[in-house]
Amino acid sequence: MKALGIVFRKEMREILRDRRTLIAIGLAALATPIVLIVISQVTAKTATQAYTVGYSGDIPVGLDTLLTATALKLERVSDPAAAAKKEVDLGVVFQPTQIDEYYDPSRQGAQIADTRLQTVLGQYDAAKAAAALREKGIDPALLNPIPLKVHPLSSPVKAAGNAFLSFFLPYILITMVFTGGLSAALDATAGEREKKTLEALLLTPSPRSRILLGKILAVTTISLISAVAAIGSMLLTLWQLPLLGTRVTLSPLAAAVMVWLAVLLAASFSSLTLALGTLAKNFRQGQAFSTPLYFITIFPASIILFIPNFNPNLAYYLIPIFNAVLVLRDAIVQNSVAWPALGVTTASLVATALTCWYATLRLFTRETLLIRS
Amino acid sequence: MSPAAVKVDRLEKTLGKNRVLRGISFEGDSGEIFGLLGPNGAGKTTTLRIIGTLLVPDTGSVDVLGFDTRAAPEEVRRRVGVVTAEIGVYARLSARENIAYFAELSGVLNGELKRRVDAVIDRLDMGSFANQRAESLSSGQKQKVAIARAIVHDPEILMFDEPTSNLDVLASREIRDFMVESRERGKCVIFSTHVLHDAERLCDRVTILHQGTVVASGTTAEVRGSHRDLEDAFLELVE
Repeated sequence: MKALGIVFRKEMREILRDRRTLIAIGLAALATPIVLIVISQVTAKTATQAYTVGYSGDIPVGLDTLLTATALKLERVSDPAAAAKKEVDLGVVFQPTQIDEYYDPSRQGAQIADTRLQTVLGQYDAAKAAAALREKGIDPALLNPIPLKVHPLSSPVKAAGNAFLSFFLPYILITMVFTGGLSAALDATAGEREKKTLEALLLTPSPRSRILLGKILAVTTISLISAVAAIGSMLLTLWQLPLLGTRVTLSPLAAAVMVWLAVLLAASFSSLTLALGTLAKNFRQGQAFSTPLYFITIFPASIILFIPNFNPNLAYYLIPIFNAVLVLRDAIVQNSVAWPALGVTTASLVATALTCWYATLRLFTRETLLIRS
Repeated sequence: MSPAAVKVDRLEKTLGKNRVLRGISFEGDSGEIFGLLGPNGAGKTTTLRIIGTLLVPDTGSVDVLGFDTRAAPEEVRRRVGVVTAEIGVYARLSARENIAYFAELSGVLNGELKRRVDAVIDRLDMGSFANQRAESLSSGQKQKVAIARAIVHDPEILMFDEPTSNLDVLASREIRDFMVESRERGKCVIFSTHVLHDAERLCDRVTILHQGTVVASGTTAEVRGSHRDLEDAFLELVE
């Protein structure tokens, strides 16, 4: 196994001297915090931003105070319906017996203003009704004969934070594990061919399987470094920066599951990208081959995001990548691990890695490997 | 008489639809420079790749110092050093690191590694650029790195595939001098080239390939015969 270590050391040395790879890792570590800061600022701004209500007619007594307190700015206009199309966020016509509201649902500002108006009017109506009942000596509780008392089993704010993590983390994990080692994988295969070093390498007495394993180990390592850098910087940012009104943190269990899945995914992806690089005539062709593969790998993460209450049976955990996303989602949202699911996932990803490694080895030992050059 | 260092026997090889070798045979001995000559496409590189165990012959056999290339490819590669036609080096490694990498992969032990690498750097007069990154080296310097990595494990057989094709006059001379020096050290040097002038000056014996077959074989003087030089002899053979 000595050749494996020799190749690993050499590949790591080359990778760490490659500006492309280092810049990619640095950008990955920086990009996620930047995105999160932007999201945080946008959500904070959305929460406190005032929206304009263009109105006509007479505002019921006290309602104007409530509206202003909810950051709905009142502005008298001649035609609220027309104004709601462009000049203001909402148009409202106050009539003695009803209120007409005009808004454009395609505008995000109008949607938020609508929600605020509905909330304020609900509270206003309830208060008015309660006051009228009191005047007549009737207990306002009559309006709410079976009061509902909510007992959340976990913090709703924390749950929102976990939901965000379960949405974002699998996506970042898969993307960074795949792209983090891509350049190194292509350089170690198509790059060898392009640089004309492949023939000299294969002329050494070291078995090709060991050479390939050394390369896989190096690409896996750099993929992991890349993923850990991106996820670490993301968690650090979330810890420092309140998002959705809370500081989002990853539980130790979820973190351990994430690292384990990253190792398994990195082992599969490194073999797969090395196979692509072996098939490619040069680095550029390798990149062209990788683009569709990236979309295939990111597809499972995307599907699950659109099925939030998806509760799959154990067979689903046999599907590579999809299973990793499911396990990670459960670990984040429920802060628990279903061990049978993790076991099936591990077996599936190990089998995937071995299959990819075997396929790559077959490619790496074919005569056409050299003839293509 | 000692057995041949390299014995190629009725070698045939087809790559794709192209029948590259059609039953060629020759032998190379220790302490000689053996010329494998012929125009581009004659089958020289394919022959060297089969000797180096990168390709497997369809029929025929190659024996290197008693080891069959099919049966014991790793033993063969341990005894062969090849300077390939395309001198690729790892650009982000220094010349010294390039050589050390191939030395380790060729089985040079850790305790001996530095001494061996220093020795080839000294032998090829590479001291002035040994610690420079390969990306900053000239073609001649890169060619020296390619030679150094091929000889660092001290193989008994040295194969050079068109080693002077991209080099200037000075660098070409250094390569030729190195081949002569290796012959004097008792190595079997197989020199593949289409530059017949170089071959005539260096080779003890030659085999001329044309379209995958041997068209002439013998000492340089025998193949040249009554012609003015090897080039004239070659032209008559292939026309």
